[in-house]
Amino acid sequence: MTHVIFTLTRVEAAHLTDLVEQFQELVSEPVGDPALERLTPDVYPDDAEASSEFRQVTRADLLSRRAHDAATVADDLGRVEDASVSDALSPVDISIADLDPWLRTLSALRLVLASRLGISDGDEHDDDDPAYGLYEWLGYRLEGLVQVAEQDEG
Amino acid sequence: MMALAAPDIERDQQVSPSVPWQTVVWDDPVNLMSYVVRVFREYFGFSREVATARMLEVHHDGHAVVAEGAREQMELHAQAMHDYGLWATVRKAPQ
Repeated sequence: MTHVIFTLTRVEAAHLTDLVEQFQELVSEPVGDPALERLTPDVYPDDAEASSEFRQVTRADLLSRRAHDAATVADDLGRVEDASVSDALSPVDISIADLDPWLRTLSALRLVLASRLGISDGDEHDDDDPAYGLYEWLGYRLEGLVQVAEQDEG
Repeated sequence: MMALAAPDIERDQQVSPSVPWQTVVWDDPVNLMSYVVRVFREYFGFSREVATARMLEVHHDGHAVVAEGAREQMELHAQAMHDYGLWATVRKAPQ
């Protein structure tokens, strides 16, 4: 896969770095968070016992792959050098060697935010909630990366 | 341990040895359509047309069967879908 340059503003990169850090904490200490249930859904919805057995065997591995993806994204973001606050809206290029960890992590961040916002239950959400803005923004950026990935493969 | 755990499954398989299992992907309000197409192409090697058709099936019908075969294989596919954040389950093919 060819190298991808992902251009964000500095303030976006800072927000994303923060979100990825929180996600790394979430998947490294999986304790009864509803967002985690969505990341490791029941594979046999009509058979609680088989689902729970499957989850016991596979969940730790799945979460460690999540952590690995997030670490890759954090590393890519970590290569962005610090800048002063006055540069918040200036563009910054993030060099991505492997897009897939990025696609999976941005999607997972959206699933986590959706769970927090109640979107996954079909509940009403508050457009003024800052978390909803983040959720929409992540969708916009993810869409852009998917387009890059598709162009890359024709 | 085998002897305790296996009988139910064996009996099922004896009744209908040819019934395959399926990996089913379900609609959710979060994942982007373009992303789901990308995942289907990337993981299953579907053409753009097939991947788009499966994605639209998920979107309009609420779910789509993306693979059919042995149970263990379907579980691997479901796990892979979970890695991508898609909501996937495994079931016996409806008769």
